[in-house]
Amino acid sequence: MATVKTKKTTKSKKASQIPVRYRVIGTRPIRHDGVDKVTGRAQYGADVQLAGLLHGGILRSPHAHARIRSIDTGKAAALPGVKAVITSADIGPVTDRVVDLGEGATRLQHLRDNILASGKALYQGHAVAAVAATSPHIAQEALRLIEVDYEVLPPVLDLREAMEAGAPLLHEDLHTDDLGTKSMQPSNIAKHLRFEKGDLEKGFKKADQIFEREFLTSMVHQGYIEPHNATAFWNADGRLAIWCSTQGGFTVRQQAAAILDLPVSSIKVIPMEIGGGFGGKIHVYLEPVAALLSKKSGKPVKLVMDRAEVFEATGPTSGSHIQVKIGARKDGRIVAAQAQLAYEAGAFPGSLVVCGMMCIFAPYDLEHQRIDGYDVLVTKPKTAPYRAPGATNAAFASETVLDEIAEWAGIDPLEIRRLNGAKEGTRRADGLVYPRIGFLETLGAARKHPHASAPLEGPNRGRGVASGFWFNVGLKSSVTAAVNSDGTVSLTEGTPDIGGTRTSVAMQLAEVLGLAAADVKPQVVDTDSVGYNDVTGGSRVTFATGLAAIEAARDIERQMAERAARLWGVPASKVKAAGGVYRHATDSKKKITFKELAARLDETGGPVVGKASLDTSASAGGGFGTHIVDVEVDPETGKVQILRYTAVQDVGKAIHPSYVEGQLQGGVAQGAGWALNEEYFYDDQGRLANASFLDYRMPTALDLPMIDTVLVEVPNPGHPFGVRGVGEVPIVPPPAALANAIYRAAGVRLRQLPMNPGRVLEAILTRDGKPPSKA
Amino acid sequence: MKNFAYINAASEKAAIESMSDKALALAGGTNLLNLLKEYVLAPEALVNIKGIAGLNAIESFEGGLKIGANVTLSELLDHAEVRGRYPALHQALYDIGTPQIRNMSTLGGNLCARPHCWYYRYEYFDCKKRGGQGCAAIAGDNEFHAIFATDGPCVMIHPSSAGPALVVYGAKVKIAGPGGSRDAGIEEFFTLPAAAVARENVLKPNELVTHVLLPPPNGKSATYEVRHKESHDWPLAMASVALTMAGETAQEARICLGAVAPVPWRAAAAEAALKGKVVNETTAGEAAQKAAEGAKPLSGNKYKVQLVRTAVKRAILAAATGRRV
Amino acid sequence: MSEESKKPPAPSSASPEASGRFSRRWFLQGVALSAGTAVLPGEGLLGGSAFAAPQAPARIGPEPVQIALSVNGKDYQVKVEPRVTLLNALRNYLNLGTNTPIDLTGTKRVCDRGSCGSCTVILDGKTVYSCSVLAVECQGKKITTVEGVAEGNQPHPIQQAFVECDGLMCGFCTPGFIVSSKALLDRNPHPTPTEIRRALNGNICRCGTYNRVFQAVELASIRMKVKGG
Repeated sequence: MATVKTKKTTKSKKASQIPVRYRVIGTRPIRHDGVDKVTGRAQYGADVQLAGLLHGGILRSPHAHARIRSIDTGKAAALPGVKAVITSADIGPVTDRVVDLGEGATRLQHLRDNILASGKALYQGHAVAAVAATSPHIAQEALRLIEVDYEVLPPVLDLREAMEAGAPLLHEDLHTDDLGTKSMQPSNIAKHLRFEKGDLEKGFKKADQIFEREFLTSMVHQGYIEPHNATAFWNADGRLAIWCSTQGGFTVRQQAAAILDLPVSSIKVIPMEIGGGFGGKIHVYLEPVAALLSKKSGKPVKLVMDRAEVFEATGPTSGSHIQVKIGARKDGRIVAAQAQLAYEAGAFPGSLVVCGMMCIFAPYDLEHQRIDGYDVLVTKPKTAPYRAPGATNAAFASETVLDEIAEWAGIDPLEIRRLNGAKEGTRRADGLVYPRIGFLETLGAARKHPHASAPLEGPNRGRGVASGFWFNVGLKSSVTAAVNSDGTVSLTEGTPDIGGTRTSVAMQLAEVLGLAAADVKPQVVDTDSVGYNDVTGGSRVTFATGLAAIEAARDIERQMAERAARLWGVPASKVKAAGGVYRHATDSKKKITFKELAARLDETGGPVVGKASLDTSASAGGGFGTHIVDVEVDPETGKVQILRYTAVQDVGKAIHPSYVEGQLQGGVAQGAGWALNEEYFYDDQGRLANASFLDYRMPTALDLPMIDTVLVEVPNPGHPFGVRGVGEVPIVPPPAALANAIYRAAGVRLRQLPMNPGRVLEAILTRDGKPPSKA
Repeated sequence: MKNFAYINAASEKAAIESMSDKALALAGGTNLLNLLKEYVLAPEALVNIKGIAGLNAIESFEGGLKIGANVTLSELLDHAEVRGRYPALHQALYDIGTPQIRNMSTLGGNLCARPHCWYYRYEYFDCKKRGGQGCAAIAGDNEFHAIFATDGPCVMIHPSSAGPALVVYGAKVKIAGPGGSRDAGIEEFFTLPAAAVARENVLKPNELVTHVLLPPPNGKSATYEVRHKESHDWPLAMASVALTMAGETAQEARICLGAVAPVPWRAAAAEAALKGKVVNETTAGEAAQKAAEGAKPLSGNKYKVQLVRTAVKRAILAAATGRRV
Repeated sequence: MSEESKKPPAPSSASPEASGRFSRRWFLQGVALSAGTAVLPGEGLLGGSAFAAPQAPARIGPEPVQIALSVNGKDYQVKVEPRVTLLNALRNYLNLGTNTPIDLTGTKRVCDRGSCGSCTVILDGKTVYSCSVLAVECQGKKITTVEGVAEGNQPHPIQQAFVECDGLMCGFCTPGFIVSSKALLDRNPHPTPTEIRRALNGNICRCGTYNRVFQAVELASIRMKVKGG
């Protein structure tokens, strides 16, 4: 199923001591958490049980936009079984400042207001009060007894209308940061950014044809299966323990400390197993609320979101309005590219429009570009990252226009991408110059793949291709690793495992030390037990925590070599380590294995512990994907069936190929759902009509085909094994690839997501302006 | 959910004596419990009818079948005679929900389920059926709502997938009430919102569907669904068709639409168009055209008009040829 | 402090050996697989004799009532209100009156509306959504959760296959899939790929593991056939 192609490294900045032939890297050991997960033993946040546990519930605004005049909690507090009731008044004053969450900065006041509204409710579902009671049923009943006096205000739901002067304002004190200058009037546009390269007008003059197109995408949700949860215990001594489902224990600690005005040292966060995150479990929602309820009641309090709350009140990703204008020459060369991206921020600023701007033309070497981005407030939940946030929306626009250009120029879609493709040394519009990247290699692999040339017979069938990019991040990771006397190593990590990273990181440590993957015992631990780690996100963990594990392994290796030297009574410089065996440089009789040495640590000086704490300023290596998809469109129903899907991606080095394949398949599945099924339905009052799995249509097993993956290995020079981030790239191409395939199958170009049967059918029936005729 | 008492009905009589508008019958629970969880319904008691003897069997009856209301959808799907003699019913049930849903849901429950309309299912939307003033769907998101009888007070689509198939077979339902048992034709069983917006069928609060009677089948039949998702979803439009054939000619046609009206919708004009004609692509298409006439779609569901045509045409052809399109 | 003495379990990757249940190494060694379990006769799933039994009380609640639940072969006495679902009872009620922490949290609460499959259990041989079944209706019925899929200390072939085929990522939907897969193989030991897809289409996975889940089911069915299942 997966073809792994190895590419020789022609330029490598570091002389690596790791051999290119690996013993562990590239194999497929069984995941360390597999047994627990198939037996139901794995402990997720909602599984936490503590003596005296109370159950919490949150009252949420039914209005999309309202001033909160008063909240009367008297009846709720009096209900038997209720132990605490809180509102934002219980949070206490905090000084507003900017906090960094690892995937974008936020004003503390906004973060605080999002978890419990003060003054205004800014979306339907916005939390306004919370209770803790002896049973979940009583908590639910108590919520219904809280009386809130709202002054209902007009909702702001359409992002284009929100941008207009005279639109109702969400924040009366918010002015646009307009290319660095603060606007005079308050606005729903929080930010206007621009990237520019070359001379756009000059570029357009060179064009033989200019294509101007407009695109709309809907707000969609990450759709992780496990709802948000948090259990907090605020002990009498002022120490706060939080068990939760999160992509970053330290991030939760930071946010909770900021919101609750506590020193970070008094908070311990225990990240439980996480049932999916995809970017949506970086911001806190429940943790500070659970903490305050615990403080007030004196008992541990558990809050678990309902499915409707997850849809209404967490962090879906931006809907968007994107306009592109691209100038092309008849030979297929793009001479100028302009884009305007307006992204929904939701109730508070901070959409990831800047990421969309970075990615929209990123696969291409274009001399003249201008990209404008707008972060726009609407009365919907504050958006959060969703797997390559911003890039999928952007690629839907750019990759479908590129497809049109290919058709106009009479050039094969893969070829037009190759003609314009970015490579090492290409400068992106935001200024970054690419190091070694693998875009062209993905195009080459796609072209060579049987899918690209397989005949596609039958009416109503078509094939589409699209590419995509995600930049991946590095950030900070810390690990410790302790050698056990039986020759195993206990590896302590602080980055929650959302895709198999505990194993992929363990494998890197194992490779360096010459151990088997099964001999490394990885654990993700709480914030008191390991050094600081940034969030699991940005496709960084296998890269960055892997780098830390490699360094910790080298640390262990140095120490083990010293121990061997001590055993032999020789200087440490005489001991060489390779493949888990420690040898004397010249005396071949002196050698000892890691395992043998581990049994003798006591007599040579005691425990051996390796550590590493890194800020990986080199990025995790940008990743590119090129996807091919075949569809059949039923012209009488508009239903799109995916017949075949192939995802090609440059993955640097696949530490554990199964996991990398899994990331590609998972990203494609989500991208396909985004493309064909998923959207938020708000009524004209801003209330969400489809906050359930019945109504928010995620693809099921029967809706998706087998997804073929091709892992192209173009090593990342920033990592000894060549690791690149892989998890986010695969969600970027699917909507565009599908739109391009639908065009070839049905003759209609859709520029709005999702491309559900109703939209496809109406496009088909009104194709050429003719109304529907016979059945 | 609001707390409730749980009453085990050991017999039809016991059930009827316990049931009221505050004490609702509980069969599989896949529809009812969700509504309780949303506080759309808050009964004081649930009356378990699953223990009533005689309601969970499939028996031969006058050349046809007598199906107890407590028979699960899975049991119906596994039954050779249902599959062999009533393919329109089998096909209508085949993709309902998921395997787990089909294991739990009963035929009676399928007929009596409350609507899927999301404005009905969430308490903060205005909904006449729930006692409110208006219908949020008419001006709101009505992509999944009715295209027929849309001038009424409620534009829901009837949630029963079995309904249209039972209509084309001319089924009857047996209803038990305080006065004893009576039979009602399946079409009379369903009621339009205009008759009483709070109900979907003729049942009084203390009446119970006990059996469905299927007469012997008289020809060929099929059901065609247009679906978005292949599982965990409801059809966008469906058509059940039963044809009495003489060679290649349809002597009689019964065509019923689902998921497009507040009740299973007889497509009488389509039936008339097909009657006496040789069944082929052309005649099926003409009948399908007729089926869609009279549709008055809402702002967001014009696409369903074409889906009706597609579903009817394909159901007719599937019935006549025995082949899925 | 009593709260401290009842610490929640440590993160799961440390626990396989500590729990005394089967270990990872033991999976790797391909421990002998037992034959498939007997197929239970399906009578009307929710119908029948249990409730027509003369001793079934006519009216219970709304206050809590004591009921007996048979879960994974073990009998529990629990006290629940009628509105408590089977899912809720399994996750939160089974330790009442004892000092032992709950260990049946494998069945997951995700949508609570019968729309995702994560709460799937086997009730008298058929898969159901435990969020949509009332606990009081499960007396006299045999309930199997993910914790009961293994045969004693032996993994079920389906569990072994899931681990080997990597049919899981975050693992949250996995208990539901394991239970649905076991029920399928109990009923149909050699399902075709189409039958597998159809039997499992009541379980949603967002991480995108469907392909590997189906491979795992195929692998398990092949192994069970080889062993004479």
